[in-house]
Amino acid sequence: MLEVIIIDDDQIVIFIQKKMMVNHHIGTNPLSFKKAVKALEYLEKERNADKEFLILLDINMPGMSGWELLDHLEEHEHKGNYHIIMVTSSINKKDKLEAEKYSIVKSFIEKPISAANCDKIKELSEISHFFEKV
Amino acid sequence: MGRDFQELKILIIGSKSRDIITVEKYLLEINSNTLISHVASLREVKATLKKTSKFNVILLDLSLLELAFSETTIIEILNLSHNTALIILTDVEEQKQAEKMLAWGVSDYLIKSELNATQLSKSIYYSRERKKAQRKLYESEEKYRMLYDESPFPMWVLDRESLDFLSVNKAALKLYGYSREEFLSMNVRDLWVESEKEVEKTAKKNLDTSFAVQIRHYTKSNKILHISIQSNPILFGGKEARVSLVDNITEKVIAEEKLKLSQQRFKAIIQDGSDLVSILDEKLNYIYLSPSATNILQINSGEIIGKNAIEFIHREDRPEIERKIKFIGKVKSFRLPSYRYKVGTAEWRWLETIVTDLRADPAVGGLVTTSRDITNFKIQEQKLKESLERYNIVAKATSDLITDYDVATNTFTFNSNVFEVFGYKKKEIDSAREWWFSKIHPEDLSVFKDSLKEIFQKGKKWINLEYRFKCADGTYKYILDRSYVISDHVGKPIRIIGSMQDITERRNYINTIEQHNKRLREIAWTQSHVVRAPLAKIMGLIELLKLEKEDIDSAEEILDNVLISAKELDDVIRNIANKAEEESK
Repeated sequence: MLEVIIIDDDQIVIFIQKKMMVNHHIGTNPLSFKKAVKALEYLEKERNADKEFLILLDINMPGMSGWELLDHLEEHEHKGNYHIIMVTSSINKKDKLEAEKYSIVKSFIEKPISAANCDKIKELSEISHFFEKV
Repeated sequence: MGRDFQELKILIIGSKSRDIITVEKYLLEINSNTLISHVASLREVKATLKKTSKFNVILLDLSLLELAFSETTIIEILNLSHNTALIILTDVEEQKQAEKMLAWGVSDYLIKSELNATQLSKSIYYSRERKKAQRKLYESEEKYRMLYDESPFPMWVLDRESLDFLSVNKAALKLYGYSREEFLSMNVRDLWVESEKEVEKTAKKNLDTSFAVQIRHYTKSNKILHISIQSNPILFGGKEARVSLVDNITEKVIAEEKLKLSQQRFKAIIQDGSDLVSILDEKLNYIYLSPSATNILQINSGEIIGKNAIEFIHREDRPEIERKIKFIGKVKSFRLPSYRYKVGTAEWRWLETIVTDLRADPAVGGLVTTSRDITNFKIQEQKLKESLERYNIVAKATSDLITDYDVATNTFTFNSNVFEVFGYKKKEIDSAREWWFSKIHPEDLSVFKDSLKEIFQKGKKWINLEYRFKCADGTYKYILDRSYVISDHVGKPIRIIGSMQDITERRNYINTIEQHNKRLREIAWTQSHVVRAPLAKIMGLIELLKLEKEDIDSAEEILDNVLISAKELDDVIRNIANKAEEESK
C-alpha cells in the first residue's frame, strides 16, 4: 500500500494538501506533521513495514529543514520505498538543482498544489501502479 | 829668341840621335834656362813622370822604335804628365801617324828634317798656351757640372726625341725618390700623371726651342707633385737633348686651391646664405649690402646704398634699437633685440641683428651688421605663447590635477592642484614615477601598471582609469585618470599628459547607491518568498472552495482559512513597506 504523508509547518497548508489528496483519491487519510523531526521519528518506526510512502515535503521549516530530512531518508536501506514531492512557496532554481541530487525526490511543486499537480503525481512511474483505474 | 827667361823644363822621349841633339841645341838657343830630361824607354817615362810631373813640354820622337805608339800609350803619358803639352817629333814618312795622334790629345807635331829653332819655339809656345786655355775651359765646365749637380733645384737632361733620361741631379733624386740608376733607365713619361699626356704635344711642338709647362708628376711612392718645368734644348755629349729645370710648386698649388675654396665658400655664405650682411658707416647709412639681401628683403642693393638704416625700422621698435646703438665704440660686437624691418611698401619682416664694429679694419671701414630673418620664428613664437597662455588658464581654471610626465627623464610636473587635491606639501612630492606608484592603493596598482604596459608595449595612446590615491593624511581619494600619450616620430611614448579628477564624492555616492541597491535586492528577494507563502495558501484554498462549495461546513472552514491567510498577507506587505521606508532613510 501507499501511505501519504504531509510535512509542513503551516496548518493551513496541511489543511489544503490533505483536502487535495483526498479529493483526488491519492490518499484516503493522509498523515501530517508540522515538524520534520516528528515525521522522521514516524518513518524510522515504519521503515521495515511493508509499505511505500508518498511524502509532500516543505523545504523551509523551523527546526529540522526539508533538506535535513532528505539527508536522513537518503541513508535508509529501503529508500526505494520513499517517493518525495518537494513543495515550496517560491521556486528557487538553486533549490531545484539541489533537490535533483536526491534519488528519492520524484517531483518539485510550487505552492499552491493544483488539481493538475495531483494528476501528475498519480502519473509518476514509480507509484502510478497504485492508481490503476479499475 | 830669348824672350822667355823663365825656367823651361822639357822632357824628351827618344834615343840620343843626331836629331835630338839638334833639338836640344835649339832648345838652349830659345831659352838658356832650359832644363832638359831625357828618357829613352816607356819604363823610364813612367818612372820619371811618377817622380815629377812638372814639365812644361814633352817632346816625343816617333822614331823611338822601342815604344809602340798606340792611343793607350799616348793617353797614359798625357795622364801621367797631368796633361802637359805633348809635341811629336816625326819623320816625313810618319807624318800621317803623327797627324792621327792630334785626335788623341797630342798638341802638335814637327817634322824633324824641317825643324828650326824658331819653329820649335813657336810650337812650344802655342802648345803651352793651348793647354792653358784647355785647362781653363775644363775648369769652367767642372764649375757648371757642380752647379748642375749640387743645385737645390731638381734638374735633368732628356733625349730630345725619346725623352729618355740622360742625366739627373741630386735634387731630382731627392724629390722623386728614385736612385740615379733607376732614373737613367726611365723615360720622363713614367713620371706623368695620367691626365698630363698633353705635355707630349707641347714637347714635340717645341722640339728645338725653350718652353715652360706646369704638370703633375708621380714620385716613386706615388705621391702627386705639382711642378713647373723650364726646358731648354742643349747638345749633351753630342746628342740633341734638353735640360729641364724642375720647380716643385706642390705646396703653393695646394695653398692656392685652399685659398680658392675658402674664397668660394666665403662667397657662397655671403651671397647665397640666409644671413643678410651689410656694412654701415658711422651715421648708420648703408655702404654695402650683401647679394642675399635681394632675396630676403626684395631690395635692390643699388637703391639702398647711402640710405639710413634706421628709416627701415618700425617706429615702435626704434627706441629700443637706438638705445642699443649707443654701445657702438664701447664694445666690439653686440646683438640688437629683434625688430621689424620694412620690406617693399607694406610688409614687415622680423630681423635679428648682430653689429660688429670693424671701422678700424681698412678692408671694411664700417659697422658690419649680420641679420637673420626670424619672421616665421616670431609667428610660431606668438602661436606658442597663445597656446601656452590658454594651457595655463585651463590648468588654473580646472579643479583637475594636470600632470605632465616626461618619459626620458622620469619626471612628473604638476599644476598647483596637487597640493589642494591631496594635501601634500611641496617637499613631500617626488617627481619620479615611483612616487606616484607608491601612492596608488595597493589593490589598484596592478590595474594601473597593466594600463601603462598597454601604452609602452602595445602602443595605446590613452589611459582612462579610476583608482585610489593616497592623500597626505593617509586617506584615499578616488581619482579618474584621463591621460594622453605624446609619441615621437616612431611611435615611442615621450610624454604623458594627464588630467586627474577627484571623483571621491561621486564614487562614494555611487558606492552608497550600489549598497542600497544590493540591500533592496535582498529585501525584494526574501520578501517575495514571504509574500508568496500566504498568497499561495489563498490560491490553494480558493481552488478547494471551487471543489467543495456544495459542502457548507467545509466551505465555511475554507473561508475562515482564506481570511487568516489574507490577514497574514496584509501583515507581510505592511512589514515590507516599513522596511523599505527604513532603508531609504
